[in-house]
Parts: sequence; structure tokens; C-alpha cells
Amino acid sequence: MVGLGVPWRGILHPRPVELKGLDSLVSPSSFGRPPLTTQSLLTSARFTREYLPVRLSRRIRALRNLPYIIVSNPNISTIYNNYIDSLTAILAFPAGSLTNLTEESKFTELLTEIVKTHSNTIPILAKGFLECRGYVTPEEATKFLDHHLRARIGTRLMAEQHIGLHLASVPQPPTVSVPGKSYIGTVDTELRPAEIIESCASFVGDICELRYGTRPKLTIDGNPDITFPYIPVHLEYIITELLKNAFRATIEANSPVPVIATIAAAPGPPDAGGITIRIRDQGGGIAPDDLCHIWSYSFSTFNGSRSSIGSGNSGRLEDVDDGGADGGVDVMGRFTESAGALETSSIAGLGYGLPMSRAYAQYFGGSLKVQSAYEWGTDVYLRLKGVGLDGV
Amino acid sequence: MSTILQVSSRMRQCASSLESSLTQAVVGSHAKILRSQVIPITAAITTKINARHLSSIQHNPRWRASGVLDSYVAQPARPISLRQLVFFGGRNLDEKKIIDSANYVRTELPLRIAHRIRDMQKLPYVVVTNRHLSEVYELYYKAFESFRRIPEIKSLEDNEKFCEIVKTALQEHLTVIPSLAMGVLECNDLVPSHELDRFMNVILRSRISRRVIAEQHLALTDTFNSPFHFPDSVSNQPHDFVGEVFLRCNAREVVEQVGKHTLELAREANGSTSPIPEIQIEGRLDTTFPYIPSHLEYIIGELLRNSIQATIDHHSQSSTSLPPIKILICHTKQHIIFRVSDQGGGIPIAELAHLWSFAKGPRAINYLQNFSQVPKMAATLQELQKTAHTHSRRESMDTSLSRLTSRPPNLRLGMGLPMSRVYAEYWAGSLELHSLDGYGTDVFLQVSKLGNKCEQLNLDGV
Repeated sequence: MVGLGVPWRGILHPRPVELKGLDSLVSPSSFGRPPLTTQSLLTSARFTREYLPVRLSRRIRALRNLPYIIVSNPNISTIYNNYIDSLTAILAFPAGSLTNLTEESKFTELLTEIVKTHSNTIPILAKGFLECRGYVTPEEATKFLDHHLRARIGTRLMAEQHIGLHLASVPQPPTVSVPGKSYIGTVDTELRPAEIIESCASFVGDICELRYGTRPKLTIDGNPDITFPYIPVHLEYIITELLKNAFRATIEANSPVPVIATIAAAPGPPDAGGITIRIRDQGGGIAPDDLCHIWSYSFSTFNGSRSSIGSGNSGRLEDVDDGGADGGVDVMGRFTESAGALETSSIAGLGYGLPMSRAYAQYFGGSLKVQSAYEWGTDVYLRLKGVGLDGV
Repeated sequence: MSTILQVSSRMRQCASSLESSLTQAVVGSHAKILRSQVIPITAAITTKINARHLSSIQHNPRWRASGVLDSYVAQPARPISLRQLVFFGGRNLDEKKIIDSANYVRTELPLRIAHRIRDMQKLPYVVVTNRHLSEVYELYYKAFESFRRIPEIKSLEDNEKFCEIVKTALQEHLTVIPSLAMGVLECNDLVPSHELDRFMNVILRSRISRRVIAEQHLALTDTFNSPFHFPDSVSNQPHDFVGEVFLRCNAREVVEQVGKHTLELAREANGSTSPIPEIQIEGRLDTTFPYIPSHLEYIIGELLRNSIQATIDHHSQSSTSLPPIKILICHTKQHIIFRVSDQGGGIPIAELAHLWSFAKGPRAINYLQNFSQVPKMAATLQELQKTAHTHSRRESMDTSLSRLTSRPPNLRLGMGLPMSRVYAEYWAGSLELHSLDGYGTDVFLQVSKLGNKCEQLNLDGV
């Protein structure tokens, strides 16, 4: 256990400002539209330097309150130590030195390292809990994971937001990819859902061809030209998971009917009421016995070797193989690792798709609902509100 | 004091529509009672409202000994499942069964009504003295008193007399649903909405249960008395119905009929030249199942009504043909599923909050005004023939639902969805709605295939 001095303990108490929520973090009024002035960029850096440790330390506290036997598990212990290392590294960076761009660049590099270190948290945690399933009840595990994963969304957002602002404000060598003009940090103020759906469909379609030898069709209707401000990687993650379910169900039911994605935009200013996306498939629906499990973090399956709950129509695209040297990374996992989409790779096939998608959707006040007509098909309703609108 | 002012200001708003709605037949003797109350009300409003005038519309509740009611409230209701209903009236319908059925109804009705009367008595005084809710209360009490006094039925003659009493009561109670709805709307600022909604759900569920057993008994008596009834025969026609239950309700036919009817009403209401959306049905079209047709027709009717009107309203600017309303029918071992999808623009988030509530939140006044325009309560035979099956038995039986189903689709009462949900959930089903704000709405109706072992009638708090 790393020795942590008094200053660290002081950080564990939340400060009122930090609790105001991350929605304001991504608003243009917080730090302005990129490219930021040096002053604004430094403000963002200082803000991140101050509040990221708070979030990290809360995760550490949650982890260290888990039973000893759980955190002793090598996988979970790895994650735990990652958090400790990251916190130590940030704290070692003197806050007072963030007065010029050189220091700020160093800080951003540090953030980038941290983000990279933690990118595989979820599958490793999952493996760890899987191995510990005899020592913790499914409810406890679900509760912990749910809370942890949701908090993680915010923590990563905070770091990535600053990284994005930095990349857009400080000239970069041509090899580094820089956010587009419509971006504020991680938010694309002119995100077109239809584009995301098309690219995810092509990506998931590729996976299906690889695995099943066939690719279902997808049609988009409703209002395909609408744009709204949102975080593209979040939407990509959600849509990919939903399409995985829809495509797999369609293929396994041998249904020729295409998957239909309907995009609806609430009337009024384009960002006011939000966007609703409906993914409709005719893949046979979800069995009533499975319906109560679709939002759980796959825990009820940790008794047997294959993770399919009930029949093959449980909606998960892949099954986890218990044990083995690979520890659960299957064809799906390996393929999507290389595609590089945010976290899609890591979570493939673990049955985390729906609960994680819902966590992402709900993070900014949206919702995800699943309605199944068993033996016919499933409709999924994703409702999202535009992000970062206050003070525009 | 402020409550009285609020109530009287609402009365002011409704006063003008009150007079006109009273000239429409509010069933039977109730018109007389209301008329006698109206004149002091309008007098009070047109002159200055002060205490003296208010006293003329004071509510003087009839005092009744509560001991009798207590003894009934203490007994639990005896629930019955539809499976039992179906099997009871199926084959071998003989005199003994009819008499058993009569006595079951004779004892159950006052028992179940007693529970509801007690529920009402526990509501705040100011709520029960609302003129609409007070009407319902008096109706219920009258029914309770009359039914509990009926002696045991021992012969077919006794049964005939009993059936007459039941028929009269069913007729008289036709106004209960609109009265309850209007009463709840008027009281929505006096009691928290969730309490009102809970009250409405309980009372409506119980009402369904009482009418089902009453109407079922009447229908069984009819079958028994009908000249075509041969207890041992295996002929087809009469046995498709067991009382009110249609054993082979065909989902597609119901939807087509209701669809046709609702489209006609829409055409009338919106003008014959304005475009009307098409209704397309897809899915497992051969699905049949035992059900009570009037319930299903009501629910589907409400959903189609909403979809049709929303589609017309949303596309009123465009001259192109309207997008169709698509209905999917499918079934599992235990359920029939209807999915009604429209492109009527969806439901704004602000309205979603009050969608399932009878109390309707801040827009209650709009719905109240529409209530006064519900078409004449006394249904004519023509109206009935528009909605009823082509089955002789049912044409003679007016149902409270048929009056509501024959109103034009642009007359928004705000009750369709919560009422439909009560009916859907009554037979262990469900009703879910998903809105794509800016595009359209999907509604999922899941109906239990009745006769399942696992289905139970939901009854008074059981």
C-alpha cells in the first residue's frame, strides 16, 4: 500500500464547486471556444489539476472499501494500483507551476498518459469480479460496478476535455490528430447522428461478416440531417452496442428485414428538446425470462462456462469464455480492440453493452429504453439531450 | 376561503358550458337533481358571491348508519379469474348453474361496492363533496342499499327479477366514468395527484370487476333462455361466446373494425375533404384468443384515436398524403402484443409527465371543457350498431364504453391512456408508450391470453 500523507486525505472531502456537475464543464462558457487564449487554457489546466485528484481519490476509497479478498485479486489489485499511481503522479505536479504553456503541455502529456493507462479498466475489473464470484453477491458487485463505471465516465471526461482543448488551442505537429472546428474539447457542437449510425453500422457489419459470413442491412429514416451538440465517442459507443444486439438478433433469426434506425428531433431550437433515436429490428425479441437480466452486469451468468442467459436471443453479441489464458477476449474483442473506438473494444462480449450504454445515455440527462415483442423483434429508444448548452 | 374562491371561479368558467351540457341527457333522474342545483349556482355567479349565496349550494350529506357498511367492508371479495368465468358458463349450462351464478353476483356486488364506498369516505371531505364525485358516491350507496336487501335467489323467476335490477343498475351507472374523471380534474389542486390517480385506478379496476361479473351473469341468463340453447349440443355459433367472453376474438378483425370506425369518426370530425391516414396491419394475422371484445375495442380505439388525430394535426401544413399508422400484431405463448406506431410528431416531454395521470396537472381545465362536449349520453341504436359486434345479444346491451368510443377523435378528454391502461392491466396485461419527439409515437399493448393458469382478475386491493 502506497504511503499517502496528510495532504491527500484532505482531498477526499468534496468541494461544493466540483459538485456542480460536469455539464457545465463542457459548456463553451466555461473556458470559451477553441482555440483558447493562453489564459483560458491555463485556467482549464488548473481546474483539472485541482479536481481530477478528488475524483480519483473517491474511486480509490470505493475500491479500498471492498472486501480484502476482492482487492487482493491480481486483476482488481492492478486497477487499484493504477489509480494510486495516477493520483500520485498528478499530485506530484505542482499546481503553482501552471503559469505558462510549457508547463501546461507537460501537464497535458501527463493527462494523456493517465487516460491511456486506464483505458482497459473495465475488462480487467470484469475479469477480476468474475474470478471473485464466490466471495461477493451479484447485487453487491452490480452496485459497485454501476457506481464505478458511471463515475469513471465523468473522470475521463474531465481529463479528455482538457486534452481536447489543448490540442485545439496549441499548435501541434502534423502527426497529431486535432479536433475539428466544431469541437469544444470532446464535444462536437454539430454532431450528425446519422453519420455516427452509418459508420457504426459499417463497423459492426464488418464484425458480423467476419463471424457469421453475412451482414444485415440498415436503413435510416426520420430526420437524417439533424445535428446537435454531443460527445461523439459516447454516442458511438452506445450506437455500436445497440447495433451489435440488433444485427446479431437479425442474423440469428435469419430475418431478411433490415434494421431500421429512426432519428427524431424535438421541435424548437435544434438543441433544446433533444434527439430520440429508435433502433428497430425484427430479430425475434427478448425472451421474457431474459428481460430482467438485460440491465445487469452479466453477473448471473458467472456460474457456468458460457455466458448466454436463457436462449440465444438474450441480445448479447458474444459469449464470454470463462477461464483460459485469454481470459475472455474472444474474436469480437480482438477485432474491436484494433478498431480503436472508445471502450468498445474492451467491453465487447461481456454483456455490459446495455447497462453501460444506459449509463452513458443517462450521464447527460438522457435515457435508454428497451421494448421487446417476443418472437417478433425489439425496439430500443435512445433519448439524448444536447450537451453544454448553458451560456452559449 | 381561497379554496372556495378557486372552486367558484372554476364554476364560473364552466357555468356556460354547464347549462348547455345539461340539456343533453345526463341519464335519468340525475338531470333533475343537477338542474335544481344549477339555478342557485348561476344566480350566485351572476350576482355577487357571498356567504348567503354560497349556502344555497352547500352540500348536506345524507347521514347513514355506518355499521352496516362496516360489516361488509370487513369481508374480503372473492376474486374470480376469466378461466373460471369461461368454464363456468361453457357447457352444460343448467338451472342450478344459473342460480349459483345469480347468488354469487348477488353477494359479491354489494361487498365490492362497500369497499369502494369506504374508500370514498376516507377521501378528504372537500373532494367527496365535489358535485361529480358526490353523484358517484350517492349512486354507489343507492346500489349498495338495494343489492344487499335482495333475498336469496331460489328459482328462475327470482333470477329474472334479479336480472332486471342488475340491468337497471348498470344503466344508471353509465355516467360513473365521466363523472369520476371530471371530479378528479376539478379536484386536482386539492389533493396530491398521485393520491387521486391511485384512487381512480382502484375504483376503476373494481368497477370493471363488478360490471364483468354482472354482465356475464346477464349474458349467461340470455344464453340459457335463448331458443337456440341446447345444453348438450356442440353447435358453433352460440358457443363462440361464453357470456361476454368471445372465445375466438380475432386480433386482426378487431383492429380492422375499430380502425374503420375510428377513421369514419375522424372523417366526420375533420371534414370529409381533409386527408385521413391509412391504417396498415402487419404481423401474425391469424391470432385468435378468448377476450372480452368491448374492452379490447375500447383500448385499441383510444390508441388509434390518438394516432389518427396526431397524424392529422402534425401534417396539417403539408399537402402530401399522410404517413400511415402501422399496427403490428404478434403473439407469444401467454400474450398477444399490439404495437401501434404513428408518425404524428410524438409527445413533448412536458406532456409526458401527466400522460398517465387522471389528474392531468396544470392543463386540467382544457380537458374539463372538452368533457362538456361529449356526445349525448343516451346512446341510440344507430350509435350502438356502429361500435358493436354483429351479434344480436350485444346490440341490446349498452356499455359505458360505447359512448366514449363514439366520440370524435379531436375531442380530447385526457382519459384515454390512463383508462386504457386500467383495462389492459386488469387482465394482467400492460400498456407502454414510447415517444420520438418530433417524429411519432409507439404504443405497446400487451394482452394476456385469458384462460391462462397464471392470470388473475385484479380486484379491490386483493
